[in-house]
Amino acid sequence: MTEPLLSPLDQARPGDILAAAVTDEGGSVLLPAGLVLTESHLDSLRRREITRLPLQVAATPTDPAELARQREAIHQRVMHLFRHTAGEPGSSALLHAVIKFRQEQCR
Amino acid sequence: MTHPSLAELADKIRLLPAMPMIALDVIRSLQDSDLDVDGLARRISQDQAIAARVLRVANSPFYGLQKQVGSIHDAIVVLGLSTVRSLVLAASMITCLPGGGAGSFSRDAFWRHGLGTAVAAEALARVLQRPPELMFIAGLLHDIGRLAMVSLYPDTFAALREQALREDRPLGLLEAGCFGFDHAEAGARLAALWNFPPSIVDAIGRHHTPGDTSPGSLAGIIHYADAIARALELDGEVDGQVPHLDQATIDGLGVSWEQLNSVLAETQSRFESCRLMLG
Repeated sequence: MTEPLLSPLDQARPGDILAAAVTDEGGSVLLPAGLVLTESHLDSLRRREITRLPLQVAATPTDPAELARQREAIHQRVMHLFRHTAGEPGSSALLHAVIKFRQEQCR
Repeated sequence: MTHPSLAELADKIRLLPAMPMIALDVIRSLQDSDLDVDGLARRISQDQAIAARVLRVANSPFYGLQKQVGSIHDAIVVLGLSTVRSLVLAASMITCLPGGGAGSFSRDAFWRHGLGTAVAAEALARVLQRPPELMFIAGLLHDIGRLAMVSLYPDTFAALREQALREDRPLGLLEAGCFGFDHAEAGARLAALWNFPPSIVDAIGRHHTPGDTSPGSLAGIIHYADAIARALELDGEVDGQVPHLDQATIDGLGVSWEQLNSVLAETQSRFESCRLMLG
């Protein structure tokens, strides 16, 4: 599980995930919730003089055994979804990215 | 079991309920370089059921608006014309098109997958620095031929779907074997009849066979977005499977590992917003 927190921009790093949309003073969306930040996003926010942003942070870790069980269940489920295509080269990147993404959501 | 031709399907399409006027206005506006935005906003506002669905999404947490928008005009000012126009088209299609009574086919799951593919295509557009609007619309409608087949030939389609589940085979292959055409070809015919831009017609028709399109084509993006939506299980179906991905097409898009992770996160997040449209 994750929880939103307004963090100083200078503490944000590429790979951090936005817990809510970042908007300008007029309320227009600059970056949507769920976005994985890159260096260029951070540069853009600096140029706009935005100083704080809502980042997802890891909550208190759950029982490691339970976490491992959840991660294995996710792996099995994704492999089932890719049951006809897992060995195909065109599917490889998506398969691994989806396993990683869905496992991270159970942190 | 009947075996209709693509021409017979096209003839029967007129039996489907007519699209709302505002949907036709939106489709026409996609190719109008001299668009009267205020006039379009007024016409959207007159269809209160559609306007309400659009505002529900516009006011969702995804957009993070500091102040709720109460009118289509305000939504266009804050979110932009292309975003609102995409949402209007989605709300119109979801509201007006039927699709039920064909065995285990779920209309709700159908539209969840359409919206999931739409937001995945839009997320890909963002990382590829392409205009997102046509991506969203093509993603939303990429399987529309299947909805026409379900509506016009419910018994045949129900039998095909049961066979696909029983034998764990892709439904599209069984469609082609039974009808002589699949949902992609049917959808392209339907989209052409509705006067969608040719690029959308082409993307719908080739979203499972993008190999002969140019690198970075709209069809190629929808091909990838379709698989992303299936892999994230946005349709909520228990029997889902990720379709074949054409390696040359995926390589041709040039999406990096970091960009793909960003696309997955944005797709999941935006989908939670857009699904509010379903009721």
